Amino acid sequence: MDFSVWIIMSGLLVIGAAAGFLMHRSDFCMAGAFRDVFLFKSYKLIRPLVLLITLSALLFELFRLTGILPSYPFPWFAPPAGVNIFGGMVFGLGMVLAGGCVVGVLYKMGSGNLMAFIAFLGLIAGSALYAEIHIWWRSLAKQTSFSTQAVTIPQWIGVSSIMPVLAFVAIGGFFCWRWQRAGLWVNKNEAEGFIPLWLTATGLAVLGALAVLLCGIPMGVTTSYAKGAALVESWIIPGHLATLPYFTTVPAHLSLPVDGILRSGGAGVHFDIIAIVQVPLILGIIGGAWLSAQLLGEFRIIWKVPFNQVTMVFAGGVIMALGARMSPGCNVWHLWGGFPLLTMQSLLFAVGLLPGAWLGGKVLQRVLITAA
Amino acid sequence: MKTLKMDIRGQVCPSSLLLVLREINRQHRDLIAGHLRMVILTDNRDATGTVPEAVRNMGVDAVVEKVGGYYRITTQQLKH
Repeated sequence: MDFSVWIIMSGLLVIGAAAGFLMHRSDFCMAGAFRDVFLFKSYKLIRPLVLLITLSALLFELFRLTGILPSYPFPWFAPPAGVNIFGGMVFGLGMVLAGGCVVGVLYKMGSGNLMAFIAFLGLIAGSALYAEIHIWWRSLAKQTSFSTQAVTIPQWIGVSSIMPVLAFVAIGGFFCWRWQRAGLWVNKNEAEGFIPLWLTATGLAVLGALAVLLCGIPMGVTTSYAKGAALVESWIIPGHLATLPYFTTVPAHLSLPVDGILRSGGAGVHFDIIAIVQVPLILGIIGGAWLSAQLLGEFRIIWKVPFNQVTMVFAGGVIMALGARMSPGCNVWHLWGGFPLLTMQSLLFAVGLLPGAWLGGKVLQRVLITAA
Repeated sequence: MKTLKMDIRGQVCPSSLLLVLREINRQHRDLIAGHLRMVILTDNRDATGTVPEAVRNMGVDAVVEKVGGYYRITTQQLKH
């Protein structure tokens, strides 16, 4: 492997570990952020998400203005389509049932949470399921494409991104300031080693920006879950795996800023650009959360868990993976990467998350309360 | 005083808050009168903030202690 690739992967591993550590300390749950708005009328977790998106928008725009962003908008984002909303809706339902989003599952798993591991297995299974419908879904995605080649809102209205992004940052900043004035950033959490949510949101915005500088794209993890599914299929049904275009094509191309070499990748088993930019983040988040839990003496696997919850969490993982592939992209990719750039795909995904999380809250309540 | 023990360790989020809210609604009178206390065992770090807050909003106090690798939240009569 090239030395430059080692550098990138090591850097992403450290970024992932720092993110996992922070997320565990603050229990920074993006699934909970959307779920609690509907389930408890609580905005405690959505506020740091607004701060994270606002700061990311500011940092990404600064990078663009200073010319250090290798590609703008980020590669792999496409013009909007109706499937972005539907995918977001499916994803929102799945993440609430799974008890965490695609990275929430990782940091919870790193702290020894068995339910998160079951959701992780669901994510792998859901990715395998999507591979079976990929061709049909891709044609549906084309049919629901909007008649524009623009990727971001500034491109769509034909202006430079600076004014729309600054307006967005001003609105987000105004709300954050109002919450600060109202004392709403103070979290009454009595967990040992708790880090305030605003501080973690700020740290995550910086880490996300560092990831962009390292590899030229924002953080994402879910295609590597599909790689996990491909790996399992390569052991048990290799003949079938070879017939699935989702696992055999390499549609993603990226030049890493460090060497400028164009590399390709996809959901297949191969070690490619997807593995380079995603696997270290996954391992880092798990490792960072594990370290945090160990330092606090909180790493513990509880084996005795209600069966109805096991079923729900696994189903949630499957549904979440389907949503991530249908959209395409997960909450991290869209909220932490595309939304700050006012990417239309990401905005539609976020719109879809709302009814999905609402529905997820209804089902969750039924499973946890009625069946308890 | 009776004690109602709820072991919610290992359960999916937000089981702690949902199940505690259900029990508080069921046993509200006894909790307020000091005839009953709830002891909740949880490994959910967020619950150390959300559960005491929800309990206090319903007129009952709560104390959080770290026991081993998890948290014990005990309700008690609110002192006026």
